[in-house]
Amino acid sequence: MIIGKIIAVLKKDVITAVRYRNGFVLSNLAQVGQLATFYYLARAVGPQFRPEGMPYFLFLLIGTGFYTFLLAGTHSFLKMIQESQQTGTLEVLLTTSTPAAVLVSLGALSAFGEELLQFGIYIGAGIFLFAPVLHISVLACLLAFGFSILSAFAIGLFAAGMQISMHKGSAMLWALGSGAWLMSGTLFPVAALPKPVQMVSNFIPFTHSLAAMRLAVLGGSFAATTREVGILAIFALILLPAGIMFFSWMVRQARQNGTLSFY
Amino acid sequence: MNVIVFESVHKVFRQRGFFFLRKPGAETHALKGVSLTVSEGEVLGLLGPNGSGKSTTLKLISTMLLPDRGEVLVQGCDTRRHGQEVRRRVGFAVGSERSFFPRLTVQENLEFFAALENVRRRDVSGRVESVLSAVSLNDVAGKQVMKLSSGMYQRLGMARAMIKNPAILLLDEPTRSLDAAAADELWSLIRDLSFTGTTVLMATHNFEEATAVCDRVALLKQGELIAIKKAGNFGARELRDFYLEMTADSVTEELRIGVSA
Repeated sequence: MIIGKIIAVLKKDVITAVRYRNGFVLSNLAQVGQLATFYYLARAVGPQFRPEGMPYFLFLLIGTGFYTFLLAGTHSFLKMIQESQQTGTLEVLLTTSTPAAVLVSLGALSAFGEELLQFGIYIGAGIFLFAPVLHISVLACLLAFGFSILSAFAIGLFAAGMQISMHKGSAMLWALGSGAWLMSGTLFPVAALPKPVQMVSNFIPFTHSLAAMRLAVLGGSFAATTREVGILAIFALILLPAGIMFFSWMVRQARQNGTLSFY
Repeated sequence: MNVIVFESVHKVFRQRGFFFLRKPGAETHALKGVSLTVSEGEVLGLLGPNGSGKSTTLKLISTMLLPDRGEVLVQGCDTRRHGQEVRRRVGFAVGSERSFFPRLTVQENLEFFAALENVRRRDVSGRVESVLSAVSLNDVAGKQVMKLSSGMYQRLGMARAMIKNPAILLLDEPTRSLDAAAADELWSLIRDLSFTGTTVLMATHNFEEATAVCDRVALLKQGELIAIKKAGNFGARELRDFYLEMTADSVTEELRIGVSA
C-alpha cells in the first residue's frame, strides 16, 4: 500500500514540475557559479590553509553542498505544509485514510529527491571541473548520509508541526538555518569558533553530518568516521520518534482549535 | 443501527493569541450541546442560516475538527480517540477549486487521492472511471483541473469523496453551482447511494433539495439543534415556512421542544 502511495506522490510531483518546467536549469547554472566562487576563494586563501587536513576547496565543496542538501530537505516538509495551506488542499489531505505524519513525509519525498539530484550535480561538477583528490569510504558515506537524512527528516517534522499549529515553521527553520550555517562548520572549521559556541555546535546534527561526510570522503576508512556516525545515529534515534510525535500532536491541536485551514 | 451519534457536542472557536493579548469574549460558540443520531442508509439534511453550525457539524464528523465537549461517534468509533478509523469510513465532498491540484488532470487528481485512500493499485483506474461516470465527468477526465467550471469542481469533489466507497458521505451544499439538470442527476445519485446503504449528511440552503432527497431534516440555529423532522411530510414551500418559523427570533422554547419531541 505504501509503495502505491509513494508512486502516486512522486507521479503527482513530477507531472506538476514538468508542467511548470522552469527553475531547475537556472538553479544548476547558479550552482556552477557558486563552485567557481569557492574555487577562487580557496586559491586566494592559498594551499597552506588545510582545514581538518583537507584542501580548502574540498572542505567548502562538501560543507556547502551537503549543508544545502540537508537544509533544503528539511525545508521541504515545511514547504509541503505551506503550499497545502495556501492552495487549500491541506484539510482535504488530512481527512484521507493516510496518517498525517506519513502524508507529510511522502510529500517531502520528491522534494528530497530533487535536492539529492542537485547535490549530486553540485558535487559531480565540483569534482569534474576542479578535480580534487578523494579517498572515499563508501560504507561511511552511506551511513553518514542515511543518518543525516533521518535527522533532517525529524527536524523537518518539527518545522511542519510548528507550521500547522502556530504557522511559525519558517521562523524556526530560519533560526536553525542561520545558526547552523555559522556553527556547523560549513565555511570554516568549528575549531575556529569560541569554545562555548563550539559546545553548542555539538548539539546540531548538521555539524556531525558535515564532519562525518568530510572524513568519509577524504579519510578513506570507515574507522575514522565511527565516532561521528555514531553520534548521528543517536541523533536520528532520538529525534525521529520525537519529530513524529510532535507533528502528530500539533495536527491534533490544529484539529481541536479549528486552525487546519489557516495560513 | 445508528452510524453517527452526536452526544451533547460543544464546539467553541477561540481567537488565537497569547493569554494576555487575547480579547476577552472573542470566542464563537459554534455548536451548543447538539445531540442527534443518524441511521444507516439515511439521508439527513442540515438546514440553517449562515453561522448556524451546519459545516461545523460536518467537519466534526470528518475529524477536520474535534469537539471541545461531548462525543461524536462514527460507526462506534470516537472521533477523538480513533480518528484514523473514522477517516477510513467517511468521505467529505469538498468542491472548492482550491482543494485540487490545478496542473493535474481530473483523472490524475482522482488517482492521487485514490492512492491516499488505500484503494489497491490494480483497482484504481476502474474506481476512477466508475466515480467519474457517477458524476458525469468522463468527458473531462483528461482535462487539467484548473480549466474546469465551478459546477464541475462541485461534481469532482463528490467523485473524490466517493473514491474510497465510504460508509458515510458528507456533502456541504452539493448543488450550489449546478444547473437544474445536473442538480437533478446529483439528487438521484444521492438516493442511489442511500439505497445501497451509504449514509449521507448534507448541509443545504435549498428547501427543494431537502424535501426531494432527505429522509429527515435537522434545523440548526446559532449552534443549536432546534428541530428534526421527517422531510417526506413537507413540500418545499411548507418546509420553507416551517424553517422560517423555527428560526425566527421570537420562536418560543416550548414550540422548539415540542417539535423536536
